[in-house]
Amino acid sequence: MNKASRTYIIEFGGAMALYVVTLLISVNLVQGMGPSPLRILLAAAPIVPVTLALLAFLRFFRHMDELQKRIQLDAMAFALGATGLLTFTYGLLENAGLPQLSFVWVLPLMVALWGIGTVAAARRYQ
Amino acid sequence: MKNRLHVLRAERRWSQAELADRLGVSRQTINALEAGKYDPSLPLAFKIAALFGRKIEDIFTPETEE
Repeated sequence: MNKASRTYIIEFGGAMALYVVTLLISVNLVQGMGPSPLRILLAAAPIVPVTLALLAFLRFFRHMDELQKRIQLDAMAFALGATGLLTFTYGLLENAGLPQLSFVWVLPLMVALWGIGTVAAARRYQ
Repeated sequence: MKNRLHVLRAERRWSQAELADRLGVSRQTINALEAGKYDPSLPLAFKIAALFGRKIEDIFTPETEE
């Protein structure tokens, strides 16, 4: 494994671990608070580790070679289209009575589809 | 597209990983190139040609259209 990959795993993994911790603390504290600017800040706190994870990926992306970048492009295009289609469809279905879901699920959905897209795109070049 | 990368690499007894290092790309890319599943960009094609001391056309053969 090369240096860029190792750095990415450490940085991304660390950010994800920080995310879990921040999320647990945030959700627990916010529940017992009355409306205040502090409550809003605490609720949004998990954004910080998520941003760190994104920055880790951007740094990794800059070290990729042309084929790896192409695979990421294909995967992101798939994730964009599939996420758009799925969330829009579900939005319409909510009108027909399906349970309302929070926006918070869109990012994990998109990341999951991006992961699937990466595997599928990489397969095409094997 | 078809290419002689596999042959040229074997002549020098380089592994795919070694060739990848010399060209500054991933082993995955060498694999895809040799399998004809990926065509290199022009800069990479020139790098490959220079590494093997050949012209690009001596290494890569575009599919002819009938």
